[in-house]
Amino acid sequence: MDFRLTEEQEFFQRTVADTVDRMIMPHVEHIDESDEFPMELWKEFTSLGYLGLRYPEELGGMAADTVTSMIFYEELSRASIGFAQSVIMNMLMGTHLVYRWGSDEIKERCLLPALRGEKIATVCFTEDQSGSDLAGTRTSAKKVDGGWVLNGTKNWITNGPLADFATVLATTDPSKGMKALNFFLVEKGTPGFSAGQVLHKLGCRGTVTGELVFEDVFVPDENLLGAEEGKGVVYLGEILNEIRCMTGAMGMGLARTAFDDGLDYARKRVAFGKTIGEFQLIRSKFAEMATEMEAARLLLYKAAWMIDQGEQPKLEAAMAKMFCVETCCKVVDEVTRIYGANGFAHEYGPQRYFRDARFLLYGGGTHEILKNFLGKEILGGKR
Amino acid sequence: MRVVVLVKEVPDLEAAVKVTGDGSGLEVEKRRGLNFFDEIAVEAALKLKESHGAVTTAVGASAGAGVEAMRRAVAMGIETPLLVDDPALDGADSLTVARALAAAIALEPADLVIAGKQATDDEAGLVGPMVAEILGLPCATRAIGLEVEDGFVLVTREIDGGEEVVRLPLPALITAEKGLAEPRVPGMAGTMKAMKVQIERTDLATLGVQAHPVLPVAAYRTVGKRPPVKMIEGEPADAAAELVRLLRQEAKVL
Repeated sequence: MDFRLTEEQEFFQRTVADTVDRMIMPHVEHIDESDEFPMELWKEFTSLGYLGLRYPEELGGMAADTVTSMIFYEELSRASIGFAQSVIMNMLMGTHLVYRWGSDEIKERCLLPALRGEKIATVCFTEDQSGSDLAGTRTSAKKVDGGWVLNGTKNWITNGPLADFATVLATTDPSKGMKALNFFLVEKGTPGFSAGQVLHKLGCRGTVTGELVFEDVFVPDENLLGAEEGKGVVYLGEILNEIRCMTGAMGMGLARTAFDDGLDYARKRVAFGKTIGEFQLIRSKFAEMATEMEAARLLLYKAAWMIDQGEQPKLEAAMAKMFCVETCCKVVDEVTRIYGANGFAHEYGPQRYFRDARFLLYGGGTHEILKNFLGKEILGGKR
Repeated sequence: MRVVVLVKEVPDLEAAVKVTGDGSGLEVEKRRGLNFFDEIAVEAALKLKESHGAVTTAVGASAGAGVEAMRRAVAMGIETPLLVDDPALDGADSLTVARALAAAIALEPADLVIAGKQATDDEAGLVGPMVAEILGLPCATRAIGLEVEDGFVLVTREIDGGEEVVRLPLPALITAEKGLAEPRVPGMAGTMKAMKVQIERTDLATLGVQAHPVLPVAAYRTVGKRPPVKMIEGEPADAAAELVRLLRQEAKVL
């Protein structure tokens, strides 16, 4: 057993951390306050090439293993959760199915520019009546000569209003539930494809999240992403564990920033003639936060490592997502308490961490859904 | 043209440092990176790579460390890393390090050697000029500008109230001051290359250098803690009067 990162991975971690500190950290407050997509920062950061991290070298990527990808997501998420969300959408969910199933022409037109940051990608699952419940998808795809016609509305779409292309989940037969779900590539400019309302969010600000509307959108046959019809959920399943781990890694990054701020504050803030870090109840908070963060990180990197071993860590990835994000929520809560009333002020970081942490509760499965899944798996399903 | 950059791995500026109990050494947290001024030197070399097609090498000398700094230099774009790695360099003085570096540079003569003006750990600022002396190269320190033309290098230096431009025949050595170049942030491709790079290593015996420290450190001391800040409350006129009283009677500076 060896719990250490390799020397190369440690170098990668420090390099990414340094890049994030130099390039993104100076902008985090403005991103949050303005709630505007930071296009200049996007161009500067994506020019470094990291969007291709997990893709093969021939596509300009690094063919990074899952552990290395998690290191990246964690370091990136120490800064702005909103910016991290936009970046990761282009790196993973928004491009994976195009990479996996797109024709050479589609890859040339969509994937390669997306990995260079020249095109913005997204994936569309959620609707007004369905999120975690994919079988409840109502956006429809009807077969016509030479292609498909899509109708429906998607909500909560990261990068949606800015997206140059979207991977859209739609049903070919609502009566067949999960077995009729497919992903379709829809590109900006396709007649009938438009952006709707932009959401005004509590946290994760600076990433534009909103509605995408599909009104009689025709896409050619090659835009059905998959070798076989009705296998959309199976194809998504190929990266579901990775997505869950990624969300956990975002939680770990945010938790670390909050923890470090709290530590700095507890060492400097004086009350009753001594620093507040000298009080037992404040020390207790740090003991608990550090212990839980350590446990969460071990769970996360174990699940990521299992993916790299070719395993399907369905339980571990769900546990890692849930535990990392719950730990993050606890840490940001404790840090606002350590800051006292200052934790409630916009002039300090904790209120932002507190708002951002909430965003991570939903992606990759709500914790209620994950607990239901875990409990069912552990107890052995229906009896 | 061939450009060699001297690189040193130093503790991170935020790493915790403690003086050992007997004052003979330091306990430094293991967070290390490329020296701030060496990063500027690397960038200056990379600019010459882009403008003059220079071939770039990074050379460092240390005992069992230095890989992190080498990888950083490669991630930024340096082609060849060469590390003098020898236990005798543990705690070595500047002259020993300079001899090791000079011998390594001499393996394949360079047109220009660029060093940081000083390292952020010992702040000595000696190694660059010492290497120049050993190799018999003209040397300009604290460069904020650099231009290569027709076998010469024009080096801009900041002096009191203005700038000075010196013209050195190549080969030469210069040391980099803040402002010479803005170090680039390595991209993924460079980082990937740095993760995989094989760092060429040599040692003092191979280079024919003997470690004879002439400037051993006798002791380390911490500076005393600053007294706490005293805030004077009250109306401005009263507070000013109280401040004057304290400066006279307690601080005894008036």
